Order: sequence, then C-alpha cells, then structure tokens
Amino acid sequence: MSGKLSGRLIVVTGATRGIGRATSLRLAGEGANILVTGRDRKGGEETVRQIEAQGGEGSFHAHDIAVEADWARVMLAARGAGGLDGLVNNAGMFFVKPIEETSEEDFDQIHAVNVEGAFLGIKHAFRAFADGGRCGAIVNVSSLMGLVGFPNATAYCATKGAVTGMTRAAALDGAAMTPRVRVNALHPGVIWTEMITGQFGDSQALADGFAADTPLRMIGRPEHMADAILFLISEDSSAMTGAELTVDGGRGAD
Amino acid sequence: MPDMGAELQGRCAIVATTDGGEGLAIARQLARAGASVVLTGWEPGRGEAAAQAIRQEGRDALFVAAHDHGEADWAMVVAQAEAAFGRLDIAVFSADRSEEAPTSELSIEAFRAVGHANLKTVFLGLKHAAGAMRRGGRGGAVVVVSSLAGRTGLAHHIHYCASKAGLELLVKAAALELGPEHIRVNTILPAFSSPLEAGCADGDGAPDEIAKAVLFLASDRSIFMTGAEVALGGSVVRS
Repeated sequence: MSGKLSGRLIVVTGATRGIGRATSLRLAGEGANILVTGRDRKGGEETVRQIEAQGGEGSFHAHDIAVEADWARVMLAARGAGGLDGLVNNAGMFFVKPIEETSEEDFDQIHAVNVEGAFLGIKHAFRAFADGGRCGAIVNVSSLMGLVGFPNATAYCATKGAVTGMTRAAALDGAAMTPRVRVNALHPGVIWTEMITGQFGDSQALADGFAADTPLRMIGRPEHMADAILFLISEDSSAMTGAELTVDGGRGAD
Repeated sequence: MPDMGAELQGRCAIVATTDGGEGLAIARQLARAGASVVLTGWEPGRGEAAAQAIRQEGRDALFVAAHDHGEADWAMVVAQAEAAFGRLDIAVFSADRSEEAPTSELSIEAFRAVGHANLKTVFLGLKHAAGAMRRGGRGGAVVVVSSLAGRTGLAHHIHYCASKAGLELLVKAAALELGPEHIRVNTILPAFSSPLEAGCADGDGAPDEIAKAVLFLASDRSIFMTGAEVALGGSVVRS
C-alpha cells in the first residue's frame, strides 16, 4: 500500500482498542507495517484483522508497557521485521478518584503505566533508531489533563504532566542524535472510548453533555486522534519536535 | 487537471498576506490541495504573479490588492472571494512585521504600525471572514501564523512581542466564540531556529514547513481542533 508512510515500521502500543486501534488502521492505510501491541490478545488480533481487511500489514505482539523485558521483546520483533521507524506511545490508564481515596498502590500503578511505560518506550525506541541508523519519530499520547487540572484526577494529571515534561526533554535528546529523532505529544480532550465510558458510563446523554460542554459542540472520536497522530509521525510535521498538539474541540482554550 | 479527490476540493481560501515568502508558499500549498485561493497583499506585482502561477497549475486563484488591510479592505477582500467562488471556508493570516528598536527610542507611530500589521489586520480579517463563514453555514477554518515572540520575550522588540502575544489570546477567545458554529481558529508558532538537523527527508525550508502545518489546520484532518497551537522547530522546548 503506498502512502505517506510507505515502507515504514511503526509500533503502536495499546492498539487493542480505542485510539490505538483507530491509529493503527490510519497509519496502515498510509502504507506502514504496524506492530500492534497490548495486553489483550483478542483485541489486538481483531485490530490486525481490520488492518488486513483494508489491505494493510500488521502483527500482534503481547506487551505490558510497564515491563522492560516486554519492550526488549517488541523491539527485537521490530528489528526482525526490518527496523523501527516510529513509535506511538499510546497505551495508558485512567481513573478519577478523590485525592483522599487514592491509595499508594493506585498512584504507583498509574505511574508505572503512564510514566514509566512511556519512558521505557522512548528509551528502547531511541536505541532501535540508533541501531538502525534511522530517522525516528515518537508520538506520546498524553492528555489535556497533562496541561490543565481536572477535579478528582490528581494522580492522572500528575502522570500526564510528567509525560509533557519527558516529551520536552526527550525532544532535545532526540534532536541531538544522528540521524535525528522527533518527539512530540498529543493532548486529546474528551474522546469517546472505553477509557472514558468505563469511568463515567456509556450513554448518549453523557456524550451529548460532553459535546455541549465543548466549544466545537462535538464529541471527540478515536479517528480524530488518528489523524493528528498521522500528522505528528509523518513528514507533514518534519519541522516539529517537543511540541504539544492539543486536539480537544477547544476545551483547553476556555 | 485538478485532482477531484484532493482534500480541499471545492473550498475557498483567503491567504493574507502574500507580500512575503510564507504567504506565497501557503497559497500554493492550499491550491495544490484543491482550494480556490484568494491572495491579498500590499504588493500587486508579487501577488498577481503568484495568482498567475497557481492558475497555470490548473487551480483557481485571484489576487486582491489591499491598501492597508483596514476595515474597508477586508470587507472588499471577503466580498470578492464570495463573488468569485460563492463561499469562504478558510482564512489564513500570516502578516509579520518587525523592526528592531530599543524601547526608549521606539516612537508611538512605529509601535502602532507593527501592532496594526500583526494584530489589528488579523482582528479585522477574522471579523469579516467569520461573517462570510457564518453566512455559508458550513463552518470554517482560520489559521493564524504568529510567533514564539508571543510567548517569550525578544529584546528590542517590545511592539512585536505585544502584537504576537495579543494574537495568542485573540485566537483562544475567537475559538470559544465561533466554536459552536464550527468555525475553528488555530495558531502556528514558527521557530526562530530549529534544533532539528536536516537529512531526514525534511529540509523543505521554513515557508514550506509552515505551509504543511497550515494545510493540516485548514483541512478536516484537524476537525476536532480549535484554540490550539502547532509549534514548529522545537520552539517550545527551547523557550
């Protein structure tokens, strides 16, 4: 398949559903070979099936992003498939909980996934790009909550704020590499996925409520994020690094 | 022949101003994506030549000479766009005027001139463009090419920094006001210099890098974006 990402190999984490799946389909549609990773084999294999159904190329790899050995395994697979060109650090977890009810275990768990998982991804992708002598691009899927506060989300905001900081620092390191590696962050607003419905409920009334509360009067969809991630991982944004792309229907401007 | 599958096919875009390389690159990029383009600037020779070059590529283009991009100019530019192409979908503002001057030596006239070019013309252009987009009822996309100097200081550029910082909040307020009609308003922040080395199929040069970002923000690929910024060249991390 020819397109903006023809011949590229891209790892998309958390690609078993939601934004990760929509992104895998979009990038594969532009010609990339996608390593679909995640913990849910069934969901991951369904993503691969959908990629192949549209004429693209992809494979599933079991992957817990908080486990460094898993990253080494995924990168070995990428090497075997021709070498890494891009990483979408998409997998993450989310919960809302008042600060007094957030346990140390809760905090450790969300930090291990959202912060350490993203860190390990950047680290192993940097190594893979350097080994392959490739120009790399990394997209960290952060959150609007990595830029602004939200009630009952202290732990989550802390993790996404950390991703914002890591993106800026890694961008400087990546720019100093030869060939260069670009690192940018995407900050989605409310996107209608299981991550949201799992916390707040899945009803039309709730979706309408979020839309009414959004300047563009619409709800965000995984496909909107996929378009933004394609922009950040392709040469469409070849002059961008360390940037924060907010795609939130205007919530952050309020 | 125009590519009927191009993402801006059937849409009309105003690009101001075409007095510099950026505006010309932006107009070319939008035209190649299928848009009919209305170029406006203060230098008729340059603008006419650019419009002619776009027409030779098989796209629609029209140059409208402006006197000062004041209110009367903008009413005329928007009216001509609607008359020629029947609609307005996209407006890009990339005016950029700057003169180095120590604050204690800076005349109020020079202060006003920079503020007029960088901030007031965008306000007036946005005002009239939003009116046309509202009449069309199909929403729209407004893209403002600002500067990192709107966020961080730049010595001997107090007027420039003031105008660009004004733009930053103008965009956010306009995004909130026009969002319900799906008129999206976003900013591009070009870098002063980039930490990125060429050699990775980049190397398009600054005007084309800006033009690619404008196309993203003008197209449906950014349909859920408003009040946001696209910062180029590592500008945020270096600030």
